[in-house]
Amino acid sequence: MDRTLKRRLEARVGSQLRGPIRQRKDQTEIRIQAGDVPDVLRTVHDAVDLRFEILADLAGVDTGEHMQVVYHLWSETSPDWLRIIVDGLSREDPRCPSATFLWTGAEWLEREAYDMFGIVFEGNRDLRRIFMPPDYTSFPLRKDFLLPDDAARSPGEGVRHVERPYAPAIVADDPAAGIRRAPAS
Amino acid sequence: MPTRPTRTKPQAEEQRPSEQRPPEQHRSEDDPRIMLDREITADLYAPIPPYPTQTEREAEFYTRGDGEMFINIGPHHPATHGVLRLVLKLSGEQIVDVDPVLGYLHRGVEKICENSDYYHVIDQVDPLEYVSSLFQEWAAVLSFEQLMDVEVPRRAEYIRVLSGELLRVASHTLYMGFLALDLGGLTPILYSFIERDEIMEMLAALTGARMLFNYFRIGGVNGDLNHEFMSRLGDWMSRAAKQTEANAGLLNENEIFVRRTRGVGVMDRQMALRFGVTGGNLRAAGVPFDIRRAHPYSVYPELDFNIPTRDEGDSLARYLIRLDEVRESIKIIDQCLHNMPDGPVMARLPRLLRPRPGRAWGACEGPRGMLGVYTISDGSDQPFRFRIHDPSFMNLETVPSLLPGNLLADTMAIVASLDPVLGGIDK
Repeated sequence: MDRTLKRRLEARVGSQLRGPIRQRKDQTEIRIQAGDVPDVLRTVHDAVDLRFEILADLAGVDTGEHMQVVYHLWSETSPDWLRIIVDGLSREDPRCPSATFLWTGAEWLEREAYDMFGIVFEGNRDLRRIFMPPDYTSFPLRKDFLLPDDAARSPGEGVRHVERPYAPAIVADDPAAGIRRAPAS
Repeated sequence: MPTRPTRTKPQAEEQRPSEQRPPEQHRSEDDPRIMLDREITADLYAPIPPYPTQTEREAEFYTRGDGEMFINIGPHHPATHGVLRLVLKLSGEQIVDVDPVLGYLHRGVEKICENSDYYHVIDQVDPLEYVSSLFQEWAAVLSFEQLMDVEVPRRAEYIRVLSGELLRVASHTLYMGFLALDLGGLTPILYSFIERDEIMEMLAALTGARMLFNYFRIGGVNGDLNHEFMSRLGDWMSRAAKQTEANAGLLNENEIFVRRTRGVGVMDRQMALRFGVTGGNLRAAGVPFDIRRAHPYSVYPELDFNIPTRDEGDSLARYLIRLDEVRESIKIIDQCLHNMPDGPVMARLPRLLRPRPGRAWGACEGPRGMLGVYTISDGSDQPFRFRIHDPSFMNLETVPSLLPGNLLADTMAIVASLDPVLGGIDK
C-alpha cells in the first residue's frame, strides 16, 4: 500500500474524484465520472510525480444497475497498481470518452468492451464488434444475458435460450431472468 | 461516413421465363446449380465485408485506391498460429494496410467463468494460453488470493516458480522453432520439439496432464514434487544450457534467418508504450518492464536473475530477447532446486469459497507478457465479474502499424516474431 500515492493523487486530481481513494494490498482505487476521463487520464499519464505510462487493462463491468469502465495502470513512481473506475454509466445508453488519444492500444480493448457490454467509446475510430460476428445483436457479458441452464450453474436456470436482443424492459417482465446485482460498495 | 451499397440479389433469375428452365426438385438459394446459370456480376466478387461498413476506419480500409487489391490470409493458414484472419491491402507486393479479423476461436470464457465457482475457474482458463497454460492459472489464482487474503506456503510458491519457468523455457523454445518454420527453415522446429516434449513429459509427471495442467490451486498447488519429475528434471538440467546454445546456433549463425528478420517490423519505445505491448516485445524495444521485477509476486524478489533488454525493436531483437530469457529461466530453475524449502503445498481453505465483496487485480509475467485478471466478488461462490487480460491481444494489435511498407513475404516474419497465441486473443 502506497500512502504517498494517495496524497499525490489528491493533489493532482482531487477535485475530479467521486468518493474516497481506497487502498487495499497493492492496489489504489479512484472513482471518477465519464466526463472527467480525458482530463484525469492525461494528468496521471503526464504529471511528473505520477507518470502512469503503461495501460495494463481496460475492462467493462455491468453491475446490474449501471455500467463501469475500469482502467488498470502501472507506473515506475509507485509500487501500487492504479485502478480508475468510471462509474455511473447508464445501462440504456452507456457512453464514455475514448482513451485512444493517449494509448493507441486502447482501441481494441474498447472494441472488446463495446462488443461485450455495448459501451460506446466516443472518439474511437474503429468501434465495431471484435469477437462476435458483425450482424450479432446481443451484448453477451451483460448481466441480463443468460446462459442456457445446461451450460453452467447460472441464474438462467430453466431458461432455454442462448441469446436475446438487448431489451431490458422485456427482461424485467420475465421472472426467470432476474438480474444479478453487485452490492453497492 | 460513406457506406457501401448492400448486396442485391441478381435480377437474372426473374427475367428468364420459368418454362425455359429444366424442372428442378431443390430450388433453394444455396443450390450451387443456380449460381452457375446466373450472370456473374462484379457484385458477386465484392464480398469483403459482406455488410455495410460501420466505422470510419473500416470505410477507409475497404476503399480501394488505384492499383490496390485485397488478399485474405487465414483463418485457416498454417502460419497464422491459430485461427487468425488477416485482410491485407496490397499495392503490387507491398503491404498498404492490414485489417485483422478476430473471433474465430471465441468461446466466451469470461462468461463461463462468471457462471462457475472459484475452483472451476482455474480449469476453465487453462485452454486460453494453451502453449503455456500454467501462467493463465497463475494470474487467476493471484487475483483470487488477493481477494481472499490467502497466505500461500513457501514450498508451494517455489513449486509454482519452478514449474512456471520450465514452461517458459518450453514456450520460448517452441516460439524459436515456429519463427524459423514460418521463414522456411524446417530444421529448428524439430530440435525445439525435442526440448519442449521433454519439459511437457516432465510436467505431465508432476501435474498429471500434458498440456492443460489444472495444477495451481487457490492457496497452493495440487501435488508435491514426485520422484519421476525430479529425475527427469535432473536429466534435463544436466544438458539444458548446452542444448540451448546448440539450438541457438542453428538460427543465430544462419545468414538467411538473420537477414530476413533484422530491421523488419521495427517497434520503437514510444510505439510499444502507446500500444500497451508487454513482455519480450516491449523489452526488445528498450523498456525493462517485467512484472517479476516491476511488480514482484511470489518468491521472485528472493531470486537472482536479470531482465534482458534490447534497443533495436525489430524481429531479430524479439527473437534474441527470448533466447536470453531462456538462459535466465534456467538460472532461476537452478536456484529453485537449491532453495526449495520443506513444508506443506496447500493452505487450509474451506471447501466452498465465498470471499467477501470486493475487487482484486492480479498480474503475472507469462512468456508473452503480462497476464492479468480482474475479479469482482459479490459475496457468492461465483465471481461476479472475471476479466482476463491477455498479452497476445495487445501484441497483435500492433500488426496494422508494423506491416505497412513491408513486402507480403515479410508478413509472417513479423506476425510470428510477436508470438501471438490465438486461444488467448479470442478468449
